[in-house]
Amino acid sequence: MDDLVERILNGQNQDGGWGFLPGKSSNTECTSLCVLALDSLGTKQPVASTKRGLDWLLRHQRAEGSWPLNDSSVDASWTTALAMIALNRFPGQQLQMKTASDWLLKQEGRTPGILARLIGAFMTPSNAVALNPDLKGWAWVPRTFSWVEPTSYALIALKQTRTAVGTKILAERIQQGELMIYDRMCNGGGWNYGNSKVFGEALWPYPDVTAVALIALQDHQASQANQESLTALRRMMRETDSGLALCWGTICLSIYGVETSQWKRQIEKRYQDTGFLGEIKTLALSLIASVDDAKAFRV
Amino acid sequence: MISRRSFLKYSTLASVIPFVDGCSESQKWRAEAYRKQRSSQVAIVQALRYDLSLREIITKGVRLCGLEVKGKTIVLKPNLVEFDPGGVINTNPLVIEAAIDCFRTLGARQVLVAEGPGHRRDNEYLLAASGIYAVIKEHRVAYVDLNTDDIRPTRLLSSFTKLEQLYLPETLYNADLIVSMPKLKTHHWAGVTLSLKNMFGVVPGSVYGWPKNILHWKGIHNSILDINSSLPVRQFAIVDGIVGMEGNGPLQGEAKESGVLIFGKDLVAVDATAARLMKIEPKKIKYLAQAGEFLGNVNHEKIEQIGENLDRLQKDFQVIEEFQDLKTLT
Repeated sequence: MDDLVERILNGQNQDGGWGFLPGKSSNTECTSLCVLALDSLGTKQPVASTKRGLDWLLRHQRAEGSWPLNDSSVDASWTTALAMIALNRFPGQQLQMKTASDWLLKQEGRTPGILARLIGAFMTPSNAVALNPDLKGWAWVPRTFSWVEPTSYALIALKQTRTAVGTKILAERIQQGELMIYDRMCNGGGWNYGNSKVFGEALWPYPDVTAVALIALQDHQASQANQESLTALRRMMRETDSGLALCWGTICLSIYGVETSQWKRQIEKRYQDTGFLGEIKTLALSLIASVDDAKAFRV
Repeated sequence: MISRRSFLKYSTLASVIPFVDGCSESQKWRAEAYRKQRSSQVAIVQALRYDLSLREIITKGVRLCGLEVKGKTIVLKPNLVEFDPGGVINTNPLVIEAAIDCFRTLGARQVLVAEGPGHRRDNEYLLAASGIYAVIKEHRVAYVDLNTDDIRPTRLLSSFTKLEQLYLPETLYNADLIVSMPKLKTHHWAGVTLSLKNMFGVVPGSVYGWPKNILHWKGIHNSILDINSSLPVRQFAIVDGIVGMEGNGPLQGEAKESGVLIFGKDLVAVDATAARLMKIEPKKIKYLAQAGEFLGNVNHEKIEQIGENLDRLQKDFQVIEEFQDLKTLT
């Protein structure tokens, strides 16, 4: 763990943020995850580094509440939910969280218009895709279609702040987002980016996305869909050579109360083999996964 | 009652209307985007199996095209979309390995492998499962995840999507040449996916998501045109057609042994030739037909086939029902 912390600290940029790889431009996704990772160390955390990361996030919030990806791409981005999850760990950010929640609640995945539906009905067979386009979650890019991963992050962020900003609209958006995720579930459980079938042929789930979706749906642990997907996740974790998959999977299993020591050993082994290819995001997630309670993503 | 086929024609027109905005077709690209030459050369080289000496075959194709690489920084851009142990989705790692070897031998200053997979974020998994990780490790080649590279806003030189700009990876700005290395495949939305469509992978997922959905919203054909018209680096193509994919591509189609590698500097001409090799009419592929107006040559008579004879190597690639019309060669 010391080596992980050191690599994360060494990867911190002068501006206080983290990029996808050491030396790359700081971005909201990696900075949020690194702040969460350092915070997960509790009293052992390097406070100054955590604070510099937190300051980067606070400096980069846009006036209307959202976050951009980085300094090059200044438009509102899907990373807003991750910044909220990070900020939620620190008291005294109520105003920032409120504007962020308000912005996030205004975002909804776009549904096809009448012309697109008409064209689609004639141009594509009825089995082209198997999803309900009317269920609105969250998109990667504002005003485009809903997908599983951004919807999952949004649900986690909104559920964490639910008690602070509870409204009827919030409850409705959470419910709609959950329905959207369940609608996109693959046969046999689990999720990929958000499409379970194309032209009648089943597409396969991904372990990382499955874990993130299950974390977003953690308040429905006993449901059949969740349990089926949990089984699928464990199968995929056994079959997938990937630090990212193991880390997200372990965080998810921990939240679902599953014993994770064997997976933590797998993560360590994988880290020794590949160093996770130096990817800051995976390093941060592995630090979070190594902490027993995974509180960063609990709702 | 309007037939399904007629509706398809009209709806294709309808999908174009919102992008026209009163401009004529010729106003959809800026003068700087025009790079169509009077004629183009495309080399088809037979390569029956992956266990042959692909380095020699690729070197032959590169030389036939007169590509100069000495002292250049070259980005190899394979097609790494997904992984299916029983499938043939991705550019075969042996072709990538041979290209690394070839360009180094020909004196390239640096060779990189770069891709931005469109569905999966898990780079580590995709690289390991596809066999590409072993290649880059053995040859000590840098791999750049284009999904998470540093980015630069890039003004689009054509306006098919009406996006005005796209963020593109810095790696493209720092290279002298990008080599698009697609798999020879049919595609259930675009008809075919070849060297032009392969450039979807340069668009960063960190901005546009997984899938890069904004490109689909703006139309696959339109996006292919705008990306390719605006790349800040010179291009070359090597199509892996040793084993291609037919039917429900790009992920769930069937393997199709074709035994060729296709090379060229004009990506439009390469793709038109690759389509003809699949017995698919390139001028019926919307983006190829439009690319033929300004990016390169699509007409058979404007493409000089060098290397093997196209007619002799043609294979009948099956397409999904909606694209049967593409199979009528003109």
